[in-house]
Amino acid sequence: MKPPRAQSKPDVPPNGRPSKHAKKSKNGHANGAARFYGIPMPGVRTEDLSGSLIVVEGTDGSGRSTQISLLTEWLESEGFAVQTMGLRRSFLVGEDIDALLAENAVTRMTLALMYGTDFFDQLERRILPALRSGLIVLADRYIFTLIARAAVRGIGRDYLHGIYEIALRPNLTFWLNVRPEVAFDREFKKSQTISYWESGRDMSLSNDLFQSFIRYQSMIKREFEYLSKRHGFIELDGEGSVSEVNRVLRRRIASHLGIRSTHYKPSHALAHLWR
Amino acid sequence: MATTTPDILSVPQPAPQKTAAAKREYPGALVVVEGIDGSGKSTQLYLLKRWLEIGGYRIHFTEWNSSPLVKSATRRGKQRRLLTPTTFSMLHAADFADRCERQILPLLHGGYLVLADRYIYTAFARDAARGCSPHWLRNLYSFAPVPDITFYFRAPLDVAVNRIVAGRPKLKYYEAGMDLGISLDRAESFRIFQERILSNYDQMIETDHFVLMDGTVRVNKLQKLMRQLLGERVDLRQFAPKKK
Repeated sequence: MKPPRAQSKPDVPPNGRPSKHAKKSKNGHANGAARFYGIPMPGVRTEDLSGSLIVVEGTDGSGRSTQISLLTEWLESEGFAVQTMGLRRSFLVGEDIDALLAENAVTRMTLALMYGTDFFDQLERRILPALRSGLIVLADRYIFTLIARAAVRGIGRDYLHGIYEIALRPNLTFWLNVRPEVAFDREFKKSQTISYWESGRDMSLSNDLFQSFIRYQSMIKREFEYLSKRHGFIELDGEGSVSEVNRVLRRRIASHLGIRSTHYKPSHALAHLWR
Repeated sequence: MATTTPDILSVPQPAPQKTAAAKREYPGALVVVEGIDGSGKSTQLYLLKRWLEIGGYRIHFTEWNSSPLVKSATRRGKQRRLLTPTTFSMLHAADFADRCERQILPLLHGGYLVLADRYIYTAFARDAARGCSPHWLRNLYSFAPVPDITFYFRAPLDVAVNRIVAGRPKLKYYEAGMDLGISLDRAESFRIFQERILSNYDQMIETDHFVLMDGTVRVNKLQKLMRQLLGERVDLRQFAPKKK
């Protein structure tokens, strides 16, 4: 199987492959380091990251997970090996965060730093090895959700960016933007209720669950608007149909990876997602 | 004056430094001990704590790495050797944040004298020895309240290392810095790791206003000095039991 080929595009960060023409960044690291926001994590080899990191961000109910399932199938059918990541999936602390959330005895800074631990564990043990092997990593949320959630709880944005400056910069970051009201409908339909954390009830915004959800998700959305400008997100209308959103995602990813055809029809197993 | 000091305190009590008090936004005070393993800091802080406890002072003692919330993660990470310099550092920061938000800050706001056995400088010295960027570490812990006084216990490397190696059947993997791959011999690795930490501590003496304590001085003599220095820096009367 041929490893995925990443194309150089002016609007896409360099893919980290050794190149004679590659410029050295100001801190003197080889061009692999340019894939990081600042000085890379200690003990991490930054060269040979031949794969691509593609991030799908968006609030609860924005359709991220659905899109990632479909994109995985499409990429695999095109011959690309895919690795996924998401919040609370690290072996190190994934379950511990679940326990902290269940107890809701946790304070905001501790939770933010536990999510950070979870993120870096996945980055070092899952994402970087996959990228070294030339895989496509599809991230169901990335540092941006972590920054937004902590920022709306009053933790400084510069502080948060400082923590994640040692993280890897994605090749593409999509933001599925939906209005909080639409997100509410979708989330409610999915589980017949709204959870404590997705309605931000730890923030005492309102005793009314709907109001609390809308206010909380609106705050998150505002943070995303700021992050989108700062980090150059590709913003998509997440309220479109699944197939419409998927078509736009495929087009952008195909152009990044050098895939000629963007034709895709979900298999029988995923047909129920196609609306 | 309704407050008093216990008579074991035989040193004069000058007024607390106004600048330090003005900067604080809480009535409590934070006393920190730092130093490499075997420098004698824990013994000295224990004696200080006992002295204040016996005198009936409003104090609270807190240790590095003691929060039950992240204990299982730390244990799992250490047992299975999953921790990298970054996740090691993040996990300890989460642990510290929990202690800070749920103990240290409320107690400082509640007017307690908080005694901390190791503080953020442990992370600065140790995690930087593991390769974390000092700049990144400073930012990570920037939410921590600044101590009123930080006692830095310094003992020569050989003295400190021998104290630890003699008292422990086996050095633990991370404790010995085995994850750094410096040496396959644990005792040797521990020594080199501690040497790096010691050098990082030394660099903070000026920048972080450490009060240098000679860890080779006799225990009771050093304790007397510690009590005197504390009294000069912190107005202990505000933590003394109220007498009616």
